[in-house]
Amino acid sequence: MIQVKISFQLNGDAVTAEVPDHTTLLEMLREEFELLGVKEGCGHGECGSCTVLVDQKSVNSCLMLAAYVNGRTVQTIEGLAGAQGRLDPLQEAFVKHGAVQCGFCTPGMIMSAKALLAENPNPSRDEIRWGMAGNLCRCTGYVKIVDAVESVCKGGCSCGEGS
Amino acid sequence: MKGFTYHEPNSIGDAVNLLNDNGARASLIAGGTDLVIKMKQGKSEPEHVISLQSIPGINEIKYSGEELRIGSMVTHRAIEQSKIIRDKFSLLADAVDNLGSVQVRNLATIGGNICNGAPSADTVGPLMALDAVLLFEGPEGERSIPITEFFHGPGKTAQAANEILKEIVIHDLPPGSCSRYIKYTRRKAMDLPLLGIALVLVSDGAEDVCKEARIGLTLAAPTPIRATKTEEYVAGKPLRSSAMWDEAGNIAVNESSPRTSFRTTSAYRKKIIQALLPRAAFEAIRRLSEQQRKG
Amino acid sequence: MAKVLEPKTGKPEFHTVGRRIPKLDALEKVQGKAAYIHDLKVPRMLYGKILWSEHAHARIRKIDTSRAEKLPGVKAVITGYNTPEIKTGFFKDNPVLKKDKVRQFRDEVAAVAAESEAIAEEAVRLIDVEYEPLPAVFDPVEAMAEGAPLIHEDKDSNILKLPWKLVCGDMDQGRSQADFIVEESYSMPWVTHCCMGSSGCMAEFHANGNLTVHSPTQIRYLAQRDFGDAMKALGLKGKRVQVVNTAIGGAFGSKLDTYPFEFITILLAYYTGRPVKLVFSREEEFFATPSRQKVDARISQGCKKDGHLTFREVEMVLDNGAYTSWGATTPSVMMMPISSLYKVPNIYYEAKCVYTNNIYATAMRGYGNPQATFAIESQIDTLAEQVGIDPLQFRMINVNTPGEITPQGFQIGSCGLKECLESVRESLDWDNKKGKQDGRGVGLGSLIHVGGGARIYKSDGCGTIIKLDDFAKVTVMSGATDMGQGSDTVIAQIVAEELGVEVDDVIVVMGNTDMETWDVGAHASRTTFVAGNSALFAARKAKEQILDLAAPLLQAAKEDLSIKEGNVFSRSNPEVSMQLARVLRALHFKTGGTQIVASHFYDPPTQMLDREMKGNFSVAYTYGVHGAEVEVDKETGHVEILKYVIAMDVGRAINTMLVEGQLEGGAAMGIGYSLMEELKADQGKILNPNFLDYKILTFPDMPDITSIIIETEDQFGPFGAKGIGEPPLVGSAPAIANAIYDATGKRVRSLPIIPEKLVAQEDE
Repeated sequence: MIQVKISFQLNGDAVTAEVPDHTTLLEMLREEFELLGVKEGCGHGECGSCTVLVDQKSVNSCLMLAAYVNGRTVQTIEGLAGAQGRLDPLQEAFVKHGAVQCGFCTPGMIMSAKALLAENPNPSRDEIRWGMAGNLCRCTGYVKIVDAVESVCKGGCSCGEGS
Repeated sequence: MKGFTYHEPNSIGDAVNLLNDNGARASLIAGGTDLVIKMKQGKSEPEHVISLQSIPGINEIKYSGEELRIGSMVTHRAIEQSKIIRDKFSLLADAVDNLGSVQVRNLATIGGNICNGAPSADTVGPLMALDAVLLFEGPEGERSIPITEFFHGPGKTAQAANEILKEIVIHDLPPGSCSRYIKYTRRKAMDLPLLGIALVLVSDGAEDVCKEARIGLTLAAPTPIRATKTEEYVAGKPLRSSAMWDEAGNIAVNESSPRTSFRTTSAYRKKIIQALLPRAAFEAIRRLSEQQRKG
Repeated sequence: MAKVLEPKTGKPEFHTVGRRIPKLDALEKVQGKAAYIHDLKVPRMLYGKILWSEHAHARIRKIDTSRAEKLPGVKAVITGYNTPEIKTGFFKDNPVLKKDKVRQFRDEVAAVAAESEAIAEEAVRLIDVEYEPLPAVFDPVEAMAEGAPLIHEDKDSNILKLPWKLVCGDMDQGRSQADFIVEESYSMPWVTHCCMGSSGCMAEFHANGNLTVHSPTQIRYLAQRDFGDAMKALGLKGKRVQVVNTAIGGAFGSKLDTYPFEFITILLAYYTGRPVKLVFSREEEFFATPSRQKVDARISQGCKKDGHLTFREVEMVLDNGAYTSWGATTPSVMMMPISSLYKVPNIYYEAKCVYTNNIYATAMRGYGNPQATFAIESQIDTLAEQVGIDPLQFRMINVNTPGEITPQGFQIGSCGLKECLESVRESLDWDNKKGKQDGRGVGLGSLIHVGGGARIYKSDGCGTIIKLDDFAKVTVMSGATDMGQGSDTVIAQIVAEELGVEVDDVIVVMGNTDMETWDVGAHASRTTFVAGNSALFAARKAKEQILDLAAPLLQAAKEDLSIKEGNVFSRSNPEVSMQLARVLRALHFKTGGTQIVASHFYDPPTQMLDREMKGNFSVAYTYGVHGAEVEVDKETGHVEILKYVIAMDVGRAINTMLVEGQLEGGAAMGIGYSLMEELKADQGKILNPNFLDYKILTFPDMPDITSIIIETEDQFGPFGAKGIGEPPLVGSAPAIANAIYDATGKRVRSLPIIPEKLVAQEDE
């Protein structure tokens, strides 16, 4: 089988993997690196569960060939919490605001929100909705997810009681 | 997904050679958002996949004051964030604003959107209305094709198997121009258009007469079309007359031949043309008024 | 954030009940650490894959598996011809691997186990099946006709032999008393659950012949019983079956039954002697997971001039698809709103479930109630208009009240329907907005649902075991299932409240049939009520034990002792106090010491429906009202939801935030059902097995929700709580349809209300 060698930064570490050419980024992250927080919800880029950041931009890892990330940086949900498991403010906000039910969409949601806030630190509720439109959730009706993202204000703190 | 050999050439010439050598066994990959799905579904099973991502010079947006040149590897996200496109070619910004998700727009390219030949492609209606010209590189060198002549049927285009789209060239719009693209969908986001209406209008300024109208329709026929009869009717008429635009809607309906699919009916698509053509026009005109106010 | 309307009696002082406590497993889930079936991997695990039928109805002439068997990495290829027969479905009409013939596109024809998913997929492609197509039938009405192709040739008709009929009162009298009668037809489409995590399971046989199945099932104990059929067929009768829940990536009723794929996985594990995991792709999830069925209903209701309803008559035809699952029993729930939403003295209901060559029908959130309520509540508006009474006022005239016994025999205890209607009236500014037909409109839909369990099995019970360790940490082993709705948290809050400890001191262990006691499953909105009561009574027993034994230690009378904030103290003299942990250690570390362990099995005091389908099958009933304000684009028919409100009588909100989560999530599903969701099929083949063409709401489609929580404090519920899992989607469709009517004067009687239906009517 034809293998491609891929070197990239993964959650802050320089890593290398050799995978078949047709491996998707999702498959490589789950199978080679056991980053099981990257979820496959549809495999077609229609649900956003597999969202990761490549060079700080949100992408559907199910639609991307692993070879694409050679020389790039990749961040997954596992790379979000800081040392000693200190949660990212977005993670804290999702917990506190009840934005998590079954949780399958949650890692992708949080990564999408991360990318959104990096570009627009103070989005309106509508900007949050449009910025995260590529992430489907069947449990929450999205309201509490909007609450959670809205609560994470400029400077990265999680404050206030939300709406 | 079937196995394949992945190539990442560093020049357009190398890419053309790889494509030429492998013929039908090769597929180009740009953003991958369509090809990867087709490969997963077994609808496409190339032995060679040639990535265009490391080819220099085809992922830039350049504006000279006379023409806009968009590299085929420019992502929808880059178009969305381009100030020059939003200011001067706003219908193209409209087209990418609600194309897939942010995640898809970060990957998917304008070249891919065009070359797939999908009847629902969001950028195509606007590019038709902009009279865009597609610049290809092949073994024999460059070739340019007006986008209005590019689509032959669903999934069928004028692109030769060994050609690569390099650039999309759009001439600057005349003074007094305004534009709008309306994508009509069932769901607000993450949806394909049931109908797309793209429109460029040129006002003569003083008399408020429509000097020129260019109307691109997607899903109004088996391929994207220009509503030429409607354009002829509108030219020379008072720009802000609702009666005129209602009649333009009727003409557009008559020159369209939308199909019925499981997504919706031909009759409903016609309803949408009738309802939204005037709205697209007035939204474009509103943009013109805003520009004029800003001076 | 929700507005909470508390009972007038004043709120008792709680220290955890009612609080917005984050879901216990949210911390894990936000870090991507929860393990779903997709994430499960054990040494030597193989991957299973199913070959699905390519015909809706055909004879199987030949299955040639030889090419698949030769593929390196393939460990087993099974068909109906080389495995013992196992049948599923409550009519046992669904062989897990089809022999002789297939009856729908998604039929299981063969299956493989292989070293990787890719090999398994390739192997499935190498299986050659020869079919002889048979005439098929996809319309239930055609399927009932004389000479229609028989789906099951051992039966003499496609109509299922199910006694779905309810007669209450005197219909002739009901009709003759009516001054106004409206008769209409309604239709509701196939829709599906769309769990973000697809279905799957992993089966593993142990050296002693026992079986473990890892599964996101909602019914561990019924699955355990069902999987016993596989054990029997394999000659392993008497061996033990353990069912272990993985994290559940959404369920909504889809995992309320056992399905062929699970038995196939068990068979593959048996024949290979290795653990086998089988997980559906998204496409398989769409076409192979049974769904909410299509229903066609004829309904008529009549009332007097003063608005009092005199009768309600409903006849339904349900497309059952090719096999039985719980879908065929949904009329048992449809009867509930038909007989008991508002005071209607005379009731007639009859439903036919019909086999067709379509996909088949299972449970989905609401269990028939959304379909029935769409018809009833849409028609109530039409009737009210004919009589000339405001629709909200019309509902008030007929409103259900506490203490009522409905014609079907339901004993209504707490009932906040009136308060719900009043709240929605205020929230929507009903009196100012109603009746303009100017493109904007308001509408509402009331609902009733079981809120105190539902006795559809011989047991509606749930068991709990509670233990306290030497540090006063509490472990609750509950038979309940959490599929995201938050039952883990609610149970912890109930136990913490009763034991006087903090929620942080409680862990809830669920999801392993070897470790806890029986529960019938996460269905019928019953978990907070039934598992909550079970946990409450177990905690009460543990508390009794503690106080009994602590009395001598504190030299106080037991009756005088209480536990609060982790301390046992004397109520008459609070200075007499000891840390609970110290009490527990003192009881443990001595000769003849003891530890605190308590258990309770709670089965609600209810009745099975009798032969006439009457009886009080739930201890409590939940009422609610959905309200919507919409704007309709007259030219395109596009419907925009401007405001959406749900007022729900929840008895008591154990956790206000989780209640809101149910209301908001249910509304999203209900709005989707109303406006865009539909499984489309051509000759039985699903045309839209993906999230692009099966449209659930996206973020921008979903409005903010106004949640109004009405607390009526049910006398039987844990701290007064009633179940609310399903009601949040039940009233959506009529609320939206009624609002559309109010905006446009157009009545749409079929779901989903796509814009095409609104402009098409304009042409007529």
